[in-house]
Amino acid sequence: MKHDTIERSIPLMVILTLVLISIGGIVEIVPLFFIKSTIEKVEGMRPYTPLELVGRDIYIREGCYNCHSQMIRPFRDEAERYGHYSLAAESMYDHPFQWGSKRTGPDLARIGGKYSNMWHQAHMQHPQSVVPESVMPSYPWLKKSPLKYEDIEKRMQVLAMVGVPYSAEQIANAKKDLQAQASASSDASGLSQRYGNKVPKDDFDGQPDQISELDALLAYLQMLGTLVDFSSYQAQAR
Amino acid sequence: MADQHDVETTGHQWDSEEGYPLKEFNNPLPRWWLYSFYATVIWAVVYWVLYPAWPMLDGYTKGMLGWSMHQEFAQDSKAALAQKKASNDRLEKLSLKEIARDNSLLQHAMSGGKAIFGDFCAPCHGSGGVGVKAGGFPTLADDDWLFGGDLDTIYETIDKGRDGAMPAHLQGAGGAFSEAQVNDLTEYVLSLSKRSQDAAAAQRGDQLFHGEAGCNGCHGDLGNGSIKGTVAGSPAPPVGAPNLTDAVWLYGSDPAVVRASIAKGRTGHMPAWGSGAKETGKRLTPLQIKQLALYVHGLGGGQ
Ligand code: HEC
Ligand code: HEC
Ligand code: HEC
Repeated sequence: MKHDTIERSIPLMVILTLVLISIGGIVEIVPLFFIKSTIEKVEGMRPYTPLELVGRDIYIREGCYNCHSQMIRPFRDEAERYGHYSLAAESMYDHPFQWGSKRTGPDLARIGGKYSNMWHQAHMQHPQSVVPESVMPSYPWLKKSPLKYEDIEKRMQVLAMVGVPYSAEQIANAKKDLQAQASASSDASGLSQRYGNKVPKDDFDGQPDQISELDALLAYLQMLGTLVDFSSYQAQAR
Repeated sequence: MADQHDVETTGHQWDSEEGYPLKEFNNPLPRWWLYSFYATVIWAVVYWVLYPAWPMLDGYTKGMLGWSMHQEFAQDSKAALAQKKASNDRLEKLSLKEIARDNSLLQHAMSGGKAIFGDFCAPCHGSGGVGVKAGGFPTLADDDWLFGGDLDTIYETIDKGRDGAMPAHLQGAGGAFSEAQVNDLTEYVLSLSKRSQDAAAAQRGDQLFHGEAGCNGCHGDLGNGSIKGTVAGSPAPPVGAPNLTDAVWLYGSDPAVVRASIAKGRTGHMPAWGSGAKETGKRLTPLQIKQLALYVHGLGGGQ
């Protein structure tokens, strides 16, 4: 076929272009669905609790990913500052994942437990009150906005459709679990039965009488990178 | 440019009627460009053979060099450790007090500690430990200690973390005292730093402080803090109750802030970085904590 023929027929050109691009796409993407070794076998991974899940949505809404990555690369300087390099397994329930590569601020893949809730409260309210030279913007409205979570079951159902293993029981108890996690004094036996007893449960925003957006965001930040049990993880050469 | 009449055209032609035929030349590609292109194609094939490259149905081609990112990382880390081994071994073996006596070793340890402090501690304690604007995070560069300023105590603070638990006292916020009583207590606390405006209220607060409210059990009979307090049977290990008689305030000197501390309580939390931390929280090695303890001790207030 002469290129003359192709160039003079728009439908033919479109079809052939699509064929060419899909070959590249298929070669790159399809094997990833079969390669078992892309996701390590680790202990400790669980889907996000309802509160963490809404917090993650706020993280995305506020565009935190524009300045923060969540991916510690296997380099010594990164490991010394941020901790063990990230594993694929750690973001297997992320839709969409938050790896990123823009680092105006530090990587947050293992921020969980690094600071107290009190520090995060001050930092989100006005970052310069704790880090004078910070260029991070203030997010004072998070503390004041009551958390909206009427549709939490739907959000979980959608994730279940793309493969996050939420059980029917977890979805049915979503609101109850969310409220239990956002309070320091509530009964959380159901929450820990459904998500494990390591789930941090607290009055994250320091305002016991309301569940704010800050509660959800901090619950999310405080669990980041804390799930995998690295004592049982054997590094495979990759 | 070659004379346009010598160059082969693709056969496309536009606007011929106007007398200005617009033709598409089929010039050969510049040689240097073409050969560089062939070279990159060959390099790609060589790369596929040497390095991990192609995904397969279950696995991927590993490449003849056997290179792997994680292996390189492991070697890097090992090499870095080996390089610092001589001085690190000494720091590891010697006790904190022994290191403090050896000036050159101390300088070495402190400069390491300073770098770690910048990454992990400065966000809460300020760079150089001078404190931050937000309340609740103690200055480490003074000699006003909550838990103790000797080397071993500082080490333990960093290794295991600390929790300051100041109970709430106001009814409705979890306490057992009325608004008026909390006001009296505030007035007494202010009187300890000579800022009281109402002697009678301070007098009533004094009664509560040493009586019904039992503040002295943590803050000491003189209100000068749990590590200096003179009260018999004062709780040990130290509860980290601040000295209320000086000008250094953990949460702020403003009377409204002092009152809020008493009314609603406080729960300052110093994270654990070593043995006291949960698995992924063990961010620092014993050696790093040692360096930090020496650095913090040297900030000005070490005892
Ligand atoms: C304009 C860029 C920018 C945006 C947007 C931004 N940050 Fe930051 N962030 C920074 C910088 C710079 C720092 C480092 C200085 C500091 O600690 O404030 C930082 C620090 C942090 C830290 C402390 C990290 C550490 O290890 O010390 C956290 C947690 C954090 N940001 C969370 C967030 C969250 C959550 C959002 C979205 C609501 C957000 N950031 C949005 C720039 C940004
Ligand atoms: C999340 C914020 C935070 C971080 C990060 C942090 N600290 Fe602290 N630190 C605190 C708080 C809060 C206290 C006071 C505890 C209390 O209120 O009882 C404290 C107390 C201390 C004390 C005891 C002070 C005294 O007066 O007895 C030392 C020493 C100390 N920190 C050192 C460090 C070092 C070294 C690091 C870095 C590895 C560090 N801290 C990181 C918040 C933090
Ligand atoms: C169980 C021990 C305990 C008791 C009892 C106690 N405190 Fe405290 N208090 C603390 C601790 C610990 C802190 C530091 C809180 C922190 O680290 O976040 C503190 C902090 C404070 C502060 C804030 C000081 C500052 O520098 O900002 C004030 C004021 C105070 N206490 C007053 C009182 C009064 C008045 C009473 C009695 C009504 C009382 N406390 C009873 C342990 C106690």
